[in-house]
Amino acid sequence: MSRAQIIMTRLALLALVLAAWELLPRHQVVNPLLLPPLGDVLSMLGKLLLQARVHEAIGVTAAEVVVAFLIAVPLGAVLGVLIAESDYLGEVFKPMLFYVFSIPKSIFLPMFILAFGITFAQKVAYAAFTTTFVVMISAATAVESVKQDYILVARSYGATRAQILMRVYVPSMMPLLLEALRISMIFNFTGVMIAEMYASRTGIGHMISGWGENFQMPELFAGVILLSAVAVLFNEAVRFFEARCSAWRT
Amino acid sequence: MRPRALPAPAKVRWAMLVTLLLAWELVPRTGLIPELLLPALSSTLKVLYQDSHIYWAALLVTLYEVALAMLIACGGGIITGAVVGGIARLRDLLLPVFSSLYAVPMVILYPVFTAWFGIGSESKIAFAGIYAFFPVMLSTAAGIRTIDPQFILAARSMGATLTQQVTRVIIPASLPAVFAGLRLGGALAIIGVVVSEMLTAAAGIGYLVTLNRTILDSARVFAALLMILVLSVAYYMLARAIERRVVVWQSVGRAPKAAQAEGGPGVPVAAAA
Amino acid sequence: MANLSQTMTVPGQQDTPPEKAAIEVANLSHIYAGAQGAVPALEDISMSVGSGRFVVIVGPSGCGKTSLLMMLAGLRAQSQGTILCHGRPISNPDPQRVGVIFQEASLYPWLTALDNIEFPLSLRGAPRDERRRRAQAMLILVGLEGFGERYPHELSGGMKQRVSIARGLVQDPPVLLMDEPFAALDEQTRMTMGHELLRIWSKTSKTVVFITHSLTEAVFLADEVLVMSARPGRIIDRIAVTLTRPRTYEMMATDAFGQLRERIWHQIRKAD
Repeated sequence: MSRAQIIMTRLALLALVLAAWELLPRHQVVNPLLLPPLGDVLSMLGKLLLQARVHEAIGVTAAEVVVAFLIAVPLGAVLGVLIAESDYLGEVFKPMLFYVFSIPKSIFLPMFILAFGITFAQKVAYAAFTTTFVVMISAATAVESVKQDYILVARSYGATRAQILMRVYVPSMMPLLLEALRISMIFNFTGVMIAEMYASRTGIGHMISGWGENFQMPELFAGVILLSAVAVLFNEAVRFFEARCSAWRT
Repeated sequence: MRPRALPAPAKVRWAMLVTLLLAWELVPRTGLIPELLLPALSSTLKVLYQDSHIYWAALLVTLYEVALAMLIACGGGIITGAVVGGIARLRDLLLPVFSSLYAVPMVILYPVFTAWFGIGSESKIAFAGIYAFFPVMLSTAAGIRTIDPQFILAARSMGATLTQQVTRVIIPASLPAVFAGLRLGGALAIIGVVVSEMLTAAAGIGYLVTLNRTILDSARVFAALLMILVLSVAYYMLARAIERRVVVWQSVGRAPKAAQAEGGPGVPVAAAA
Repeated sequence: MANLSQTMTVPGQQDTPPEKAAIEVANLSHIYAGAQGAVPALEDISMSVGSGRFVVIVGPSGCGKTSLLMMLAGLRAQSQGTILCHGRPISNPDPQRVGVIFQEASLYPWLTALDNIEFPLSLRGAPRDERRRRAQAMLILVGLEGFGERYPHELSGGMKQRVSIARGLVQDPPVLLMDEPFAALDEQTRMTMGHELLRIWSKTSKTVVFITHSLTEAVFLADEVLVMSARPGRIIDRIAVTLTRPRTYEMMATDAFGQLRERIWHQIRKAD
């Protein structure tokens, strides 16, 4: 299949799903109370986007996501570089990280609530906590991906440490670094959502869980569409840059 | 650069674990952190023992939900992954779409499932099943896709039929990736069930965390927390042990790849991107 | 090995017509559809390989040597021309007539050495003890007795290729096709393996078509060297190697060896 055919087929599939979402509930094939027709959901989304309290919630959530990301990325990157650069630290900590990955981080939410109360800081701290581990592993992988040969060649031409960092490490890690940021953001966003849905007074996650509890399905689906769209668009944007930075990779 | 002076990494890990457990006991005892924030290990174990029937019953509910979620995620994930990874057209068409969708924080779907299926086990199974489905599927698809074409060429030269190529070459060759996916999928199924039990539920260990948190009974929160920790770690160790026995032939040369697959849900996505 | 040939029934050989040629290729051409239209890959190839002969094909990279070998194995279809193997056309893989040994040993990492050798037998449902017996005999033939329970990752590169040769021989096909089997090995192992291959060949009296990049290897192994041109691949020279057998490492230092090597090199440079 050519590129154009693939895109056309994907669009056709998307159109099919959207049409089914609109038509099946509209004609009572599925219960419209459980799955409101797409049109109703979209018009609800339009209404919601005009409400001040929704604006406020989006603002809070966005601020939490950004602040948590700004804390987790440098912290995780430093830790990741440490375990990648030091063979000893790597040997000590890497086997543990794999266990840490399989533990549901959400069980520590009560501790964050006890420590910070149900606040902005608690959401940020929890999301940063969950994201740090991901950044750490990704950063370690990125550092380890740099071939020792490249460094050896650079050193044989008399490159300084700073030159090796800027001219060898950074360009050859770039695709993996962007990928690390992308995946970290997925985890970070999920962390904020869980924290907001668990115990919160504001934020989009809080609204979504409230709509679910009160069975306000059009509002709930509007929220799901909004968040999914934001997440997918961010992800695609980073992937676009990733592809541009890794053109040299075969 | 003095490797001889440093203690063995495994010893350091055990020492850290012991220190952690000691600190868990001593720090609250000495009053450095109030027991409301961190109840001592002994108090936690005491309530776990006193209420053992409650915790066991909750564990059974959680295990039941995890088992069914794993069945959905792993069964569906392996079959879909094999089909999508094995057929070039579907792969080009769908894999990038799946890995885009993976960016959506799945947890926002949980309120939809509680609205649809109620707050009983069904909504947890559905949520955790979907939560774990994607990594299993992407990992399986990547595994099928990266099979060395020479393996199949050699089988054809030896007169293998199409069925034999699938059963004798493609399936065994994709086992390491499938197992990596299963390990990940199982861990995510546990995470999914615990998260959903904590959010809205009437039973299960995650529910005990939330219930006791709201009444500020920290010892009982930590008892549940400890149980989940043990459950996750035990699952991971079990999965690794089974994997090692089944995939004995995994060569040293492939180890870095396997280690990467352990890097968490990101890796299958990365492989599919 | 002599008794092995007697006990094995080889359908390909039973109805062998009287003529001596094991492989006959007539006017074979191949054109494949590339991204920029049709690409002629092989052009008017005719060749005949006598039964029991060792023929080596050399040529510049991308000249279609491997494609030709894949066609001889029935793994790829040619656009035009015919391939006869012991008088009958080849269009599908026929492991009873043709065994193939690949560049990467392409052993299955999930099978032990012995299970890998048994693999072709198990594909056609041969009974367990027959499989084991024949695989063991092959393991001994290639000099790997005692290594049968090892997995491929526990074997060195040379040992892997020995297993791969054993796998190619286990069905006792009269023809063996080898696609740069020693290319991934270091020079020293490569020499040893060439010597080993000749030893095995002299014991089994197979017809061998062997592809290589190494001119020394070509002269050392071959009865006849076919030189192919750059794309589209054609056969531009056939060089008979008249060195006596058994070949020894000392022969490589002789003038005769050097002159043959020089002649092939000259042809390849012209071909590129």
